[in-house]
Amino acid sequence: MAGGVTGYAAISARVRAMYAELLTPQDMIRLSDSPDFQTLFSTLKTTSYGPYLDSLKDKEINPKRVISQVKRKLADAYYSVIQMAPESTRPLVKQLYRYYEIGNLKAVLRALVTVPSWNTTETTAWDRVRDVLFPMGSAAVLPAQAMVESGSVGTAVDLLRGTPYEETLSFAMRRYSAEQNLFPLEVALDLGYWRRLWAETKKLSGQDREQGTKIIGALLDMNNLMWAIRYKVYHKLSEEEIINYTLPFGYRVQDTDIRAIAAGADIASIITRIYPDITDVSALLENPQTGLPRLEYQFKRQLMKQCLAAFVGNPFHIGIPLAFLVLSDLEVQDLIILIEAKSSNIPDEEYRPFLLKTNPPS
Amino acid sequence: MFFPREMTEVELIIPSKDLVAVAKVLSGHGVFHQVDSTYLGLENLGPSAWQERAASYSALERRIQTTMQTLNLAEDYSRSYDFDTMADLDTVRPAVERIENEVKSIGDQLNNERKRLEQLESQLRQLEPIADVNVEVSSLRKSNFLHSILGVLPAANVNRLQTSLARVPHVFFTLREDSQKPVVWLLGPRSNSDIIDRAAKSAYLNPLSLPEEFEGTPAQITGSIRKTIETTRQKISELEANLRNLSGKYRQELNKLWWDVHVSRSMADAIVRFGQLRHTYVVVGWVPSADLELLTQRLKQASPEILIEAIPTERSGHHTNVPVALTTNKWLRPIQMLVTQYGRPSYGELDPTWLMAITFPLLFGAMFGDLGQGLVLLVLGLLIDRGVILKAMSSLGLLIAYCGASAAIFGYLYGSIFGFEGHLIEEYLGFHFEPPWLSPIHEILPVLSLAIDAGIVILLLSFLLGMFNNIRARDWPHLVFGHTGIVFFIFYLAFLALLGSFLGTTAIAPQVAVAIASLPLPWTLIAIVFGLLVMFSGALRNWMEGHRPIEGSGVGGFLMFLVQSFMDLFESLISLLSNTLSFVRVGAFAVAHGGLSLAIFSLAGEEPDLGFWITILIGNLFIIGFEGLIVGIQTMRLHYYEILGKFFHGGGMRFEPLTLTPRKEDA
Repeated sequence: MAGGVTGYAAISARVRAMYAELLTPQDMIRLSDSPDFQTLFSTLKTTSYGPYLDSLKDKEINPKRVISQVKRKLADAYYSVIQMAPESTRPLVKQLYRYYEIGNLKAVLRALVTVPSWNTTETTAWDRVRDVLFPMGSAAVLPAQAMVESGSVGTAVDLLRGTPYEETLSFAMRRYSAEQNLFPLEVALDLGYWRRLWAETKKLSGQDREQGTKIIGALLDMNNLMWAIRYKVYHKLSEEEIINYTLPFGYRVQDTDIRAIAAGADIASIITRIYPDITDVSALLENPQTGLPRLEYQFKRQLMKQCLAAFVGNPFHIGIPLAFLVLSDLEVQDLIILIEAKSSNIPDEEYRPFLLKTNPPS
Repeated sequence: MFFPREMTEVELIIPSKDLVAVAKVLSGHGVFHQVDSTYLGLENLGPSAWQERAASYSALERRIQTTMQTLNLAEDYSRSYDFDTMADLDTVRPAVERIENEVKSIGDQLNNERKRLEQLESQLRQLEPIADVNVEVSSLRKSNFLHSILGVLPAANVNRLQTSLARVPHVFFTLREDSQKPVVWLLGPRSNSDIIDRAAKSAYLNPLSLPEEFEGTPAQITGSIRKTIETTRQKISELEANLRNLSGKYRQELNKLWWDVHVSRSMADAIVRFGQLRHTYVVVGWVPSADLELLTQRLKQASPEILIEAIPTERSGHHTNVPVALTTNKWLRPIQMLVTQYGRPSYGELDPTWLMAITFPLLFGAMFGDLGQGLVLLVLGLLIDRGVILKAMSSLGLLIAYCGASAAIFGYLYGSIFGFEGHLIEEYLGFHFEPPWLSPIHEILPVLSLAIDAGIVILLLSFLLGMFNNIRARDWPHLVFGHTGIVFFIFYLAFLALLGSFLGTTAIAPQVAVAIASLPLPWTLIAIVFGLLVMFSGALRNWMEGHRPIEGSGVGGFLMFLVQSFMDLFESLISLLSNTLSFVRVGAFAVAHGGLSLAIFSLAGEEPDLGFWITILIGNLFIIGFEGLIVGIQTMRLHYYEILGKFFHGGGMRFEPLTLTPRKEDA
């Protein structure tokens, strides 16, 4: 307990201060009531995202730049937490942060596949990719520009020598070379990332391990379930492929659940047993195109609930910083939905059901 | 001192002929933070040739770096060769190509040989687990009834692969255990070959490419491979020696080429962001005012016809676009670190480092007052700062020393030495020492009251600093109706006055509040009027900012507004009360410190024997380590929650000057 108090009091104070800056449901309703992108931008400037948006010049006020600035706040939150986290938990938080670098790596690889159509006289492929990358700052290990400029997936992957991704991709590259499809690379990256994250969680002890398992496990559950369901319902992969492309651990979701889905068991009953709050799964699965995003939304609500619960009780453990980071990420996801919806004039009814903050779990 | 370094916005108009000389000055001195002038609405003459040049330099720099890496040469920033003009691509490129071709030819051969060696060693490793199997390897490939895959897969996937085949008859052998890449052999009926292949593929099992050219049993093949490995190693040694020769031969030339191209690339990158007019270029950026004169002189030397307009930037007003260079002072670095953890001051905003440099040790010392323990912390802090002990914490050494010094001063005032107080000092230490000020453990209520007083003073100061920042930012709506604005300030005074009158005769009554209450002002009326203003402050602030005062419309909207306003008032009251009472902890910890010492004395007993002194020693170590840390955390909490939040916003943009060498991070 003493270790917990001494190690966490500072970070706990800082995280609670940052937590207080997260948008409230009222803020999100106010933002989603904006009639257009410009109004949304002005309203967003009055929130804690203001300082990040103030630096944008008039010419730069476009959805891509605004999203990039919004992500910058999340990157700063990670930076603060990593700096202040106790030594023993820092590898876990750093690994959690790598999620965004995996996203960047996927974006770079996708750019390389479509690169010939992107290079024009006015913009290079790197110009196009740079804006969509998460601003990792000094934590980045990807030589992103050099990879994009290398022109081919093979050469780009060679540039990853010495990074945590080298080993993971060394196996998957053989399949990429044979199939010329990024799917095996992306799956390998995902599996490698979550395995490492879980391993870091299991290295913790006491309250840290217990609370870390709850948050990381809840995140993993959501991803693992969505993978299994997508592979089964949407990609129609075989049982053995689904098992190999998913993970055998989690918080609430057990390996037997994943294997049952892979073997063709009734998905709705499995989900309802794990999450009794989610009831209309069968209806959602009837049309995977529209149903799967809604199901994912339901999982995110469960995740949010788990994160909010972390703030109750003993505050001296890693669960609170982790929960704060996950909640911050969910908030950014909401904002991205809003920004894209407002800039593309998407009708309210098409995006509002996907906003988590306007309808948080009780 | 109290603000980030003063910055001056500089606009330069440069004749085209002096472009390079000016770019050299700007890039070379590390004081110019460039703003992208192509955004300024200047005439755009189409894709600039400089963009192409910058791209060419960048590509050339990468090629030189690759060649240097092949030759195991590091970039030498210390040997800053002087430069007059930018590197001529037509001259540099052939020189680079000449060396590159020579190095690349050997480098490629070396890589091929290394790959071959790796492949051969991998084949050897693959064969090792089956080295004693006396069968022809080729027969494995020609089985009629069995489908078999011999290969390597990620160790993490082994269990998953087996799970995925749980419902299919199969045999799985791990031929060679490896923490990363085990060699495995998977066999199953040929009728299930599809399933087995799918499972193997999805588990990233990469089949081994057993050398077709080698015939015979694994043992025979191993022998042949070993011979080939020996020959390959010799070739590699020869090629490495060749590269070492080339490294010696081209070291200086490559470093010079790299520096020229690196400098040219840095300058071209800067020029790309210059605004281009017909015969001139426009450059906009920021310079610390203290460095402006020297930079101006150098620019004039580089370009006598240059036009320089320096626009000193007032600290008042909104300055989100002004980069912030913090004043770096070695003695304040740990405090600055605490501040920047919270946020980087924006330009014009008060840098709270100095304030925190005073209040942090002060509050810590008040809570941890002990002459002996404070001196121990002081010495520990200095040792940590100098890296003698706990090197990983060296950045916090000075902070610990300051806190220790403050704790020692308060300890003297409290009359506490290593927990000994009053008669205990006389009894065990042999001299008489009365607390010159007060003893927290014996005067609990006055200490708590004093702590609240100190908190009130700090909070009032924070309110004033918040207003000061709002005045400087000319943020009038927040100055009047903000949470640290005039209305809230007066409401807080009225709140204190009422609290003072209510508690006036009790020992816990904060004297500052009592003093305010004694002022001949109608505090009840002021509290009601300003309470109403606080209640409607959101709407009034919206009105001052030119927005609609009330969001929502109709009777429902107005009622909701009333309810929300009342809740705002209620929340403000609670928050003012809790902010004020939050400082009670300062007194409570001072009392708890004495209490902990008493507990240790009761454990130690009364006889001053060896056991007594060991208990006192361990107890003191415990107090220094455990309580010291908790008090430190509480001090930080008070600053982050109660003090900085009142007036400090942060969000400043980091000052990133153009430079030719890697920049050292400031705080």
